[in-house]
Amino acid sequence: MQNFKRAFVFIILLSPGILFLQDISNLKISIKDTDDSSRIILASSKNLSTSIEKSGSFIMVRIRADLPYKIQRRSFNSRYIESLGWSRGAGYYILNIKTSLAKFSYVSSTLKAPYRLIIDIIPEGTGKREKGEIIVESNSNAYSDSNKVDIDQGLKTIIIDPGHGGLESGAKGKFGTLEKEITLDISLKLKEIIERNLAYRVVLTRDKDIAVSLENRAAKANNNRAFVFISIHANGFFRKEARGSETYFLNLNATDEEARRLAYLENNSSELNTVEGENEDDIKMILWDMAQAAYLTQSSQLAELIQNELNTLLGTLNRGVKQAPFKVLTGVACPAVLVEVAFISNPDEERKLMKSEFQNMIALAVYRGLTNFLKLNL
Amino acid sequence: MSVRQYAFLIALSVLLLVLVAIFFKCGEEKKLIPEPVTQMLDSEEISGEESETKKVFLFFLAEEDDLLHAEVREIQADAVLILQAKLVIRELIKGSRNEGISPIPVKTKLRELFITDEGIAFVDFSKEIQENQFFGSAGEIAAVFSIVNTLTYNFKSIKRVFILIEGREKETLGGHIDLKRPLLPRFDLAANLPGSG
Ligand SMILES: [Zn+2]
Repeated sequence: MQNFKRAFVFIILLSPGILFLQDISNLKISIKDTDDSSRIILASSKNLSTSIEKSGSFIMVRIRADLPYKIQRRSFNSRYIESLGWSRGAGYYILNIKTSLAKFSYVSSTLKAPYRLIIDIIPEGTGKREKGEIIVESNSNAYSDSNKVDIDQGLKTIIIDPGHGGLESGAKGKFGTLEKEITLDISLKLKEIIERNLAYRVVLTRDKDIAVSLENRAAKANNNRAFVFISIHANGFFRKEARGSETYFLNLNATDEEARRLAYLENNSSELNTVEGENEDDIKMILWDMAQAAYLTQSSQLAELIQNELNTLLGTLNRGVKQAPFKVLTGVACPAVLVEVAFISNPDEERKLMKSEFQNMIALAVYRGLTNFLKLNL
Repeated sequence: MSVRQYAFLIALSVLLLVLVAIFFKCGEEKKLIPEPVTQMLDSEEISGEESETKKVFLFFLAEEDDLLHAEVREIQADAVLILQAKLVIRELIKGSRNEGISPIPVKTKLRELFITDEGIAFVDFSKEIQENQFFGSAGEIAAVFSIVNTLTYNFKSIKRVFILIEGREKETLGGHIDLKRPLLPRFDLAANLPGSG
């Protein structure tokens, strides 16, 4: 009886501890500077519902929270972020980010499993060019000299992947336009703009009308140690009314358990290159098979930045950033996106897609999204 | 013969009978495709029928948006799982009875379907499933997930779907969605998810 009582008391004493362990979620904040931005990452064991507001030199992140969070603070040193402040209300937290900038813009994105909110703070006046300058851009070398200092260290490679090719034509329009033709036209224009303006080497997965397997497209990226991979497609659907532009990054098509295991890759992507030991080949195979799992954060950021520019420049319907298990993206070991520029199955958009001007505009939009990404990820 | 010998013989024959019974019982369970063929029933036909029916939902496209819309059918509830699953896929290929658009070419044939213990349904289609001029990624996503969603939504024991073409693994239907791994459903692509009855 005595023993039973003791055990009972023990359980009572223990239970708040158990509750504590179950209910309190962690919220981890990390801050990182790149060449021209500061990045703040909020990582949580649970999915968060947040809203972001900018005011003066502050950014306020409102986080809905029914239960308390354990917040991990760490001291930091950042160029554009001066201090962080926390306040708590009924059912929410507010994170106040004080920047050292009078004028700035920010880009935010979220990732799940595990949940992360990523905010990049970018000072204004870093030379985002205006819409009207398109002709100047493709005819002058204004940007070239200052940017081509990298040459000595070897140029980084950007892979552009014109969708489909050969017997595999992709989607087909009412006026007979084939997806494979449009994707090649746009890709060639994009290659030219990038090479004219940036110190990067551009490699196309195909530069003529030939069939290339999806695995070989990814292999081309990995063999060239690509820095960024951009696949260009034109969309097709059953309803001719469907229209607009959308940008995809990979959906892992994995169960929660698999996603947890793959998330490990994201923090250890260097292992893709340096796996050793007995089962080396097996492990490498698995890693390469789902190599893209290690780059989802950056891929989602690249997708957001390209989609933003498509919205600004094209005037097409914004279908947003989406995720799907695209075969061509799974094996790519660098940030990778697939851009569906417009619908070839929509007669209005097909007519636009046939025009060189519109193709130029698409190439410019992708180029600008890419440039913004490179600024944040050098 | 002594009493002990009789007892032994009786025990032996009982054991034999039990073994025979177990043998046949197992044989029955292992048989993959039982004989009785179930039919898709129209709702009007059901009233007269004795057998139990259940509602299933097929995912088609609609005129008003780019989402998958669930359309109801009734099937006999007593058929084995594989037969029900085959029936549902054949009905999906036949197309909508309303204004819906089927993302799968109507000439496509279901060649085979089987379900593993891990809940992966292998669905083998004829080559016609690839012949569709609308297979831009949006069209291809609709085709793939109309199949995956239809199977996983109606049968709890099916967790993932592996699409085969002419008995073989294929990279994609039309150059986009990865078919080399079993696919999880994407109910976020559905406009409506009615409760099954
Ligand atoms: Zn395509």
